Amino acid sequence: MILLARLIKESARFALNSVIANKLRTILTLLGITIGIFSIILVFSVLDGLERQVRNSIQALGDNVVYIQKWPWVFEDNFPWWRFVNRPVPQLRELDAIQSRTFSVEAAAFLASTSRTIEHQSNSIENAALVGTTFDYDKVRLVDISEGRFISPTEFGSGRNVVVIGAQIAEAIFPDLDPIGKQVKFFGRKAEVVGVFKKEGTGGFGDSHDNWVLTPISYLNQFVDINSERYNPQIMAKAKPGITNQEMIDDLTGVMRALRRLKPAADDNFALNETSLLSKQMDGVFAIISMAGWIIGGFSILVGGFGIANIMFVSVRERTSIIGIQKALGAKKYFILLQFLFEAIVLSLIGGAVGLLIAFGVTALISSLANMDFNLTLGNILLGLNVSALIGLVSGFVPAWTASRLDPVEAIRSNG
Amino acid sequence: MIKVENITKSFEGVPVLKEVTTLFERGKTNLIIGQSGSGKTVLMKCLVGLLESDSGKIMFDNLDFNKMSFADRRIIRKQLGMLFQGGALFDSLTVEENVIFPLNMFSDLSQEEKLDRANFCLQRVNLDNVNHLYPSEISGGMKKRVAIARAIANNPSFLFCDEPNSGLDPRTAIVIDKLISEITQEFNMTTVINTHDMNSVMEIGDKVAFLYKGELWWEGTRFEILDTDNKELNDFVYASELMRTLKK
Repeated sequence: MILLARLIKESARFALNSVIANKLRTILTLLGITIGIFSIILVFSVLDGLERQVRNSIQALGDNVVYIQKWPWVFEDNFPWWRFVNRPVPQLRELDAIQSRTFSVEAAAFLASTSRTIEHQSNSIENAALVGTTFDYDKVRLVDISEGRFISPTEFGSGRNVVVIGAQIAEAIFPDLDPIGKQVKFFGRKAEVVGVFKKEGTGGFGDSHDNWVLTPISYLNQFVDINSERYNPQIMAKAKPGITNQEMIDDLTGVMRALRRLKPAADDNFALNETSLLSKQMDGVFAIISMAGWIIGGFSILVGGFGIANIMFVSVRERTSIIGIQKALGAKKYFILLQFLFEAIVLSLIGGAVGLLIAFGVTALISSLANMDFNLTLGNILLGLNVSALIGLVSGFVPAWTASRLDPVEAIRSNG
Repeated sequence: MIKVENITKSFEGVPVLKEVTTLFERGKTNLIIGQSGSGKTVLMKCLVGLLESDSGKIMFDNLDFNKMSFADRRIIRKQLGMLFQGGALFDSLTVEENVIFPLNMFSDLSQEEKLDRANFCLQRVNLDNVNHLYPSEISGGMKKRVAIARAIANNPSFLFCDEPNSGLDPRTAIVIDKLISEITQEFNMTTVINTHDMNSVMEIGDKVAFLYKGELWWEGTRFEILDTDNKELNDFVYASELMRTLKK
């Protein structure tokens, strides 16, 4: 066993020496593997990052929350869109009925939104999401306040001109100031900042509070028609503990159909959307992108594998005399086999490691530019290294086998 | 002792060795000489087991190599030291690592014991303070000495040398020849040398076997070679103007 370990160490040393001795050739050989591993790992890292963002967003939206809206989130094949166009949008008055008539809903909130420029003195930010909501919003969605407080029930009830702003808004219009108690201006009117949302980062569905200005719905109603489709009205309903989404959906369907006086044979004229639908939809998309990553990277790796096999054949040819001498000095077949296999695996691993390094740099760049988390995970690093080692093993096996089977007489004859 | 009995070897129907019979004795330096294509390299390869003869016997200390099992052959191979033409050192290994290589392949010695053995062998070929140098950092003569040290690292009973002083200047070549001869006597090895070099023959040839067209044409000592009337041998020995002048 000790002898075997020593032989493995010795063959690894011969392999490493050969790699070091042929630097330029090594670099050129590795390009294929480097590009392949870079492509695969980059795609996987970006996918992982996106998936993480989407999962976080879904979590933030609430996996036990159902959204009552005009349009469904997921369209089936041959989607009859013309039937949906004439549907009514959810109304604020429907919220009261949902809260009072359903058994499954713990809390529900009405939401309407628009894009506005928000100003504070000479500072302003364009296209901020101005969102009006009702007082149970913080019971339906996770609300994390970093400064100040959330809007009180009294303020909601009276429609006071107060807002909670997102971190991005606060940074833009209050760069060096404490926003709490300051005034922001939209629709030509002033509103007092009572709180700032904790920074959340870019959400997968644009649902992050960072760019939000949240105000009581009754205050927003002074400027816009919150029941107009233009302002994307919707009702969010959160299930009571122990109630499944399906139970809540059945409950909500009954209440909504009654509210809208739909005949038994009539189709629903509302959509009950849940985050799991998005999740399933995204799983399908991620699977396709992941497959594309494997195919693109796979071809590069395949080419890289052929490159390694080719260079290993050259290496065997170049070192024929050394192989012969090693054999004549007592080296066994597996010693020669291991030596060349090591070389192929080391070559491939170096290529993979360089690919990973480049992927690391590119993901870091994308992360900083896109303000999203695309970091290289340990799983992806291990995947990259394992794929590299496997390619090295597969592409190096035939040359190594050939070397181990070389006739020592022929091998020594090639010795000058 | 190596006993060769009626060895024949052909390649694609062309006979290269024809019924060669001879004896290489222990403690002596045995030289195989002959023109290029005479079959001396093939004979050497048959002796070290790199080629199998078509017929005949090769006896290592009365053991028939051709009839041995794989395991027994491996035991014999452990007792073979080989000195290749040009030295054939591994360029990527240091002098010390080159000498240790056969020990790594064949022995169960500890690293310390292997280092001791390598140092002993290097000192025996008069090489000091070169352990950590690479072959490219030492002279041709030193490379040959390292190769000899590597050949004797396993303390072999049989030493085979292929053109041991090719590429060396005459003075260094004689030093190497003498070193091989000394080691042969000191370790009581059976040494077989394949050479063209008449200087070597005259320096260390305890026994000389002359091959001509695959046949053992003549054998004797280095002293007898000068008195023979064998025409083919004389043509070989006195091929150069220098030797012809010396004869006159």
